[in-house]
Amino acid sequence: MSTDPKASEKIDCRGAYEKLFEMLDGELTNDVEQKMRDHVSSCPHCFTQADFEKRFLHALRALKGSGGCPGGLRDRVTSALRAVGFRG
Amino acid sequence: MMTETAPVDAEAHEAFSALALTALDDVYRFARSLTRDEADAEDVVQEAYLRAFRSWTTFQPGTDVRRWLFTIARNVFLRSRERGQREVTLDSDGSEAVDAAMATANWVRTGLDPILASAEIGPAIREALEELPETFRSVVVLVDLEDQSYEDTAAVLGIPIGTVRSRLFRGRKILQERLVTHAQDAGLIPASGPNRRDA
Repeated sequence: MSTDPKASEKIDCRGAYEKLFEMLDGELTNDVEQKMRDHVSSCPHCFTQADFEKRFLHALRALKGSGGCPGGLRDRVTSALRAVGFRG
Repeated sequence: MMTETAPVDAEAHEAFSALALTALDDVYRFARSLTRDEADAEDVVQEAYLRAFRSWTTFQPGTDVRRWLFTIARNVFLRSRERGQREVTLDSDGSEAVDAAMATANWVRTGLDPILASAEIGPAIREALEELPETFRSVVVLVDLEDQSYEDTAAVLGIPIGTVRSRLFRGRKILQERLVTHAQDAGLIPASGPNRRDA
Protein backbone atom coordinates (compact mmCIF):
# COMPACT_ATOMS: atom_id res chain seq x y z
CA MET A 1 0.00 0.00 0.00
CA SER A 2 1.25 3.48 -0.74
CA THR A 3 1.39 6.02 2.06
CA ASP A 4 2.18 9.50 1.00
CA PRO A 5 0.46 10.82 -2.08
CA LYS A 6 2.24 13.64 -3.82
CA ALA A 7 1.57 17.06 -2.37
CA SER A 8 -0.44 18.10 -5.42
CA GLU A 9 -2.73 15.05 -5.32
CA LYS A 10 -6.16 15.25 -3.75
CA ILE A 11 -7.44 12.30 -1.80
CA ASP A 12 -10.49 10.53 -3.21
CA CYS A 13 -12.81 8.13 -1.38
CA ARG A 14 -10.71 5.08 -2.18
CA GLY A 15 -7.53 6.78 -1.03
CA ALA A 16 -9.30 7.93 2.11
CA TYR A 17 -10.60 4.44 2.84
CA GLU A 18 -7.07 3.03 2.45
CA LYS A 19 -5.61 5.56 4.88
CA LEU A 20 -8.33 5.82 7.51
CA PHE A 21 -6.57 3.50 9.93
CA GLU A 22 -3.25 5.30 9.46
CA MET A 23 -4.99 8.60 10.18
CA LEU A 24 -6.64 7.24 13.32
CA ASP A 25 -3.31 5.72 14.41
CA GLY A 26 -1.54 9.07 14.01
CA GLU A 27 0.85 7.54 11.47
CA LEU A 28 0.43 9.99 8.58
CA THR A 29 2.65 12.92 7.75
CA ASN A 30 1.12 16.30 8.62
CA ASP A 31 0.29 17.27 5.06
CA VAL A 32 -1.34 13.94 4.21
CA GLU A 33 -3.27 13.97 7.48
CA GLN A 34 -4.59 17.45 6.67
CA LYS A 35 -5.72 16.28 3.22
CA MET A 36 -7.41 13.30 4.84
CA ARG A 37 -9.21 15.44 7.40
CA ASP A 38 -10.32 17.85 4.67
CA HIS A 39 -11.76 14.99 2.61
CA VAL A 40 -13.36 13.12 5.51
CA SER A 41 -15.03 16.23 6.89
CA SER A 42 -16.55 17.08 3.53
CA CYS A 43 -17.62 13.57 2.43
CA PRO A 44 -20.58 12.09 4.34
CA HIS A 45 -19.73 8.52 3.28
CA CYS A 46 -16.10 8.73 4.42
CA PHE A 47 -17.13 10.59 7.58
CA THR A 48 -19.47 7.72 8.51
CA GLN A 49 -16.76 5.16 7.73
CA ALA A 50 -14.17 7.05 9.79
CA ASP A 51 -16.55 7.24 12.75
CA PHE A 52 -17.17 3.50 12.48
CA GLU A 53 -13.46 2.63 12.31
CA LYS A 54 -12.79 4.86 15.32
CA ARG A 55 -15.41 3.05 17.38
CA PHE A 56 -14.13 -0.33 16.20
CA LEU A 57 -10.58 0.52 17.28
CA HIS A 58 -11.90 1.75 20.62
CA ALA A 59 -13.63 -1.61 21.18
CA LEU A 60 -10.53 -3.54 20.08
CA ARG A 61 -8.20 -1.52 22.29
CA ALA A 62 -10.46 -2.03 25.29
CA LEU A 63 -8.82 -5.48 25.49
CA LYS A 64 -5.52 -3.75 26.27
CA GLY A 65 -3.86 -4.84 29.49
CA SER A 66 -6.21 -7.77 30.05
CA GLY A 67 -4.68 -11.17 30.73
CA GLY A 68 -1.49 -10.77 32.74
CA CYS A 69 0.89 -13.67 33.20
CA PRO A 70 -0.21 -16.66 35.31
CA GLY A 71 0.72 -16.50 38.99
CA GLY A 72 3.47 -19.10 38.89
CA LEU A 73 5.23 -17.82 35.79
CA ARG A 74 7.08 -15.00 37.51
CA ASP A 75 8.57 -17.44 40.03
CA ARG A 76 9.39 -19.93 37.28
CA VAL A 77 11.19 -17.31 35.20
CA THR A 78 13.05 -15.93 38.21
CA SER A 79 14.16 -19.43 39.24
CA ALA A 80 15.37 -20.20 35.72
CA LEU A 81 17.28 -16.92 35.66
CA ARG A 82 18.90 -17.59 39.03
CA ALA A 83 20.04 -20.96 37.75
CA VAL A 84 22.12 -19.11 35.14
CA GLY A 85 23.52 -16.52 37.54
CA PHE A 86 20.84 -13.86 37.97
CA ARG A 87 21.13 -12.27 41.40
CA GLY A 88 17.94 -10.18 41.42
CA MET B 1 23.26 -11.78 15.85
CA MET B 2 23.48 -10.87 19.51
CA THR B 3 26.58 -11.69 21.49
CA GLU B 4 25.44 -13.52 24.59
CA THR B 5 27.19 -12.05 27.58
CA ALA B 6 25.43 -12.30 30.93
CA PRO B 7 25.82 -9.19 33.10
CA VAL B 8 28.35 -9.50 35.89
CA ASP B 9 27.90 -6.40 38.03
CA ALA B 10 25.15 -5.95 40.61
CA GLU B 11 23.92 -2.78 38.95
CA ALA B 12 23.19 -4.67 35.75
CA HIS B 13 21.27 -7.33 37.66
CA GLU B 14 19.21 -4.63 39.36
CA ALA B 15 18.54 -2.92 36.04
CA PHE B 16 17.44 -6.22 34.51
CA SER B 17 15.10 -6.78 37.41
CA ALA B 18 13.70 -3.24 37.32
CA LEU B 19 13.32 -2.98 33.55
CA ALA B 20 13.01 -6.40 31.99
CA LEU B 21 11.15 -8.29 34.69
CA THR B 22 8.56 -5.55 35.15
CA ALA B 23 7.54 -6.11 31.52
CA LEU B 24 6.74 -9.78 32.19
CA ASP B 25 2.96 -9.34 31.86
CA ASP B 26 3.36 -7.57 28.51
CA VAL B 27 5.78 -10.17 27.18
CA TYR B 28 3.48 -12.98 28.32
CA ARG B 29 0.46 -11.40 26.62
CA PHE B 30 2.44 -11.02 23.41
CA ALA B 31 3.72 -14.62 23.63
CA ARG B 32 0.19 -15.83 24.35
CA SER B 33 -1.06 -14.06 21.25
CA LEU B 34 1.64 -15.76 19.19
CA THR B 35 1.25 -19.29 20.56
CA ARG B 36 -2.49 -19.25 21.37
CA ASP B 37 -1.62 -21.69 24.14
CA GLU B 38 -0.85 -20.83 27.76
CA ALA B 39 1.74 -23.55 28.35
CA ASP B 40 3.55 -22.77 25.09
CA ALA B 41 3.46 -19.06 25.93
CA GLU B 42 5.06 -19.73 29.31
CA ASP B 43 7.85 -21.72 27.63
CA VAL B 44 8.43 -18.91 25.15
CA VAL B 45 8.53 -16.33 27.95
CA GLN B 46 11.00 -18.34 30.04
CA GLU B 47 13.32 -18.92 27.10
CA ALA B 48 13.00 -15.29 26.01
CA TYR B 49 13.98 -14.05 29.46
CA LEU B 50 16.95 -16.40 29.63
CA ARG B 51 18.13 -15.07 26.29
CA ALA B 52 17.43 -11.52 27.35
CA PHE B 53 19.47 -11.97 30.51
CA ARG B 54 22.40 -13.49 28.65
CA SER B 55 22.22 -10.63 26.15
CA TRP B 56 21.49 -7.88 28.65
CA THR B 57 24.80 -6.15 27.95
CA THR B 58 23.58 -5.57 24.39
CA PHE B 59 20.47 -3.74 25.54
CA GLN B 60 20.85 -0.01 25.00
CA PRO B 61 19.73 1.93 28.07
CA GLY B 62 17.11 4.52 27.22
CA THR B 63 15.57 2.46 24.42
CA ASP B 64 12.24 0.66 24.73
CA VAL B 65 12.83 -2.51 26.74
CA ARG B 66 9.44 -3.90 25.78
CA ARG B 67 10.26 -3.62 22.09
CA TRP B 68 13.57 -5.41 22.74
CA LEU B 69 11.84 -8.20 24.69
CA PHE B 70 9.05 -8.56 22.12
CA THR B 71 11.69 -9.05 19.44
CA ILE B 72 13.41 -11.77 21.47
CA ALA B 73 10.10 -13.48 22.30
CA ARG B 74 9.08 -13.43 18.67
CA ASN B 75 12.41 -15.00 17.65
CA VAL B 76 12.05 -17.70 20.32
CA PHE B 77 8.53 -18.40 19.11
CA LEU B 78 9.63 -18.73 15.49
CA ARG B 79 12.44 -21.09 16.42
CA SER B 80 10.12 -23.17 18.61
CA ARG B 81 7.86 -23.85 15.68
CA GLU B 82 8.84 -26.34 13.06
CA ARG B 83 12.44 -25.31 12.64
CA GLY B 84 13.19 -24.20 9.16
CA GLN B 85 9.52 -24.15 8.26
CA ARG B 86 8.85 -21.18 6.09
CA GLU B 87 6.20 -18.77 7.19
CA VAL B 88 3.12 -18.81 5.06
CA THR B 89 3.16 -15.71 2.96
CA LEU B 90 -0.14 -13.93 3.27
CA ASP B 91 0.92 -10.58 1.94
CA SER B 92 -1.01 -10.26 -1.24
CA ASP B 93 -1.09 -7.03 -3.12
CA GLY B 94 -2.27 -4.23 -0.81
CA SER B 95 -4.33 -2.68 -3.55
CA GLU B 96 -6.42 -5.85 -3.89
CA ALA B 97 -7.00 -5.93 -0.14
CA VAL B 98 -8.31 -2.37 -0.16
CA ASP B 99 -10.66 -3.08 -3.07
CA ALA B 100 -11.96 -6.26 -1.43
CA ALA B 101 -12.54 -4.50 1.88
CA MET B 102 -14.27 -1.56 0.20
CA ALA B 103 -16.61 -3.96 -1.56
CA THR B 104 -17.94 -5.24 1.75
CA ALA B 105 -17.55 -2.05 3.79
CA ASN B 106 -21.24 -1.24 4.10
CA TRP B 107 -22.14 -4.83 5.01
CA VAL B 108 -19.50 -4.88 7.73
CA ARG B 109 -20.41 -1.46 9.10
CA THR B 110 -24.14 -2.12 9.13
CA GLY B 111 -23.60 -5.50 10.75
CA LEU B 112 -21.18 -4.36 13.42
CA ASP B 113 -22.71 -0.99 14.31
CA PRO B 114 -25.45 -2.37 16.56
CA ILE B 115 -23.03 -4.42 18.69
CA LEU B 116 -19.89 -2.25 18.87
CA ALA B 117 -20.93 -0.77 22.20
CA SER B 118 -22.49 -3.95 23.59
CA ALA B 119 -21.11 -6.13 26.38
CA GLU B 120 -20.71 -9.04 23.96
CA ILE B 121 -18.16 -7.25 21.80
CA GLY B 122 -15.12 -7.75 24.07
CA PRO B 123 -15.23 -11.57 24.25
CA ALA B 124 -16.17 -11.71 20.57
CA ILE B 125 -13.15 -9.62 19.57
CA ARG B 126 -10.87 -11.71 21.75
CA GLU B 127 -12.14 -14.89 20.11
CA ALA B 128 -11.79 -13.44 16.61
CA LEU B 129 -8.28 -12.26 17.44
CA GLU B 130 -7.29 -15.75 18.60
CA GLU B 131 -8.46 -17.16 15.27
CA LEU B 132 -6.58 -14.60 13.20
CA PRO B 133 -3.58 -16.06 11.32
CA GLU B 134 -0.37 -15.32 13.23
CA THR B 135 0.99 -13.13 10.45
CA PHE B 136 -1.81 -10.62 11.05
CA ARG B 137 -2.38 -11.28 14.75
CA SER B 138 1.11 -10.29 15.84
CA VAL B 139 0.82 -6.93 14.05
CA VAL B 140 -2.64 -6.18 15.47
CA VAL B 141 -1.55 -7.19 18.99
CA LEU B 142 1.61 -5.07 18.90
CA VAL B 143 -0.10 -1.95 17.53
CA ASP B 144 -3.53 -2.12 19.17
CA LEU B 145 -2.86 -3.91 22.46
CA GLU B 146 0.78 -3.11 23.18
CA ASP B 147 0.86 0.49 21.91
CA GLN B 148 3.77 -0.05 19.54
CA SER B 149 4.20 2.37 16.63
CA TYR B 150 4.28 1.07 13.06
CA GLU B 151 8.05 1.62 13.05
CA ASP B 152 8.60 -0.29 16.30
CA THR B 153 6.31 -3.10 15.13
CA ALA B 154 8.33 -3.38 11.93
CA ALA B 155 11.51 -3.64 13.99
CA VAL B 156 10.09 -6.29 16.34
CA LEU B 157 8.82 -8.46 13.50
CA GLY B 158 11.71 -7.79 11.13
CA ILE B 159 9.45 -6.68 8.29
CA PRO B 160 9.22 -3.46 6.24
CA ILE B 161 6.92 -0.73 7.58
CA GLY B 162 4.77 -1.01 4.44
CA THR B 163 4.12 -4.65 5.35
CA VAL B 164 3.05 -3.55 8.83
CA ARG B 165 0.54 -1.18 7.20
CA SER B 166 -0.89 -3.79 4.86
CA ARG B 167 -1.01 -6.57 7.49
CA LEU B 168 -2.64 -4.24 9.99
CA PHE B 169 -5.23 -3.15 7.44
CA ARG B 170 -6.03 -6.71 6.43
CA GLY B 171 -5.91 -8.05 9.97
CA ARG B 172 -8.40 -5.47 11.24
CA LYS B 173 -10.69 -6.05 8.25
CA ILE B 174 -10.63 -9.82 8.79
CA LEU B 175 -11.51 -9.20 12.45
CA GLN B 176 -14.46 -7.03 11.45
CA GLU B 177 -15.81 -9.60 9.00
CA ARG B 178 -15.50 -12.38 11.57
CA LEU B 179 -17.28 -10.26 14.16
CA VAL B 180 -20.20 -9.76 11.79
CA THR B 181 -20.39 -13.51 11.21
CA HIS B 182 -20.16 -14.09 14.97
CA ALA B 183 -22.99 -11.62 15.60
CA GLN B 184 -25.12 -13.31 12.98
CA ASP B 185 -24.45 -16.76 14.42
CA ALA B 186 -25.35 -15.49 17.89
CA GLY B 187 -28.61 -14.07 16.56
CA LEU B 188 -27.58 -10.53 17.52
CA ILE B 189 -28.14 -9.26 13.98
CA PRO B 190 -30.07 -10.70 11.02
CA ALA B 191 -28.12 -13.09 8.80
CA SER B 192 -27.24 -11.64 5.41
CA GLY B 193 -24.35 -11.90 3.02
CA PRO B 194 -22.08 -9.08 1.89
CA ASN B 195 -23.48 -7.07 -1.00
CA ARG B 196 -20.52 -6.64 -3.27
CA ARG B 197 -22.13 -3.70 -5.05
CA ASP B 198 -22.45 -1.51 -1.99
CA ALA B 199 -19.06 0.21 -1.97
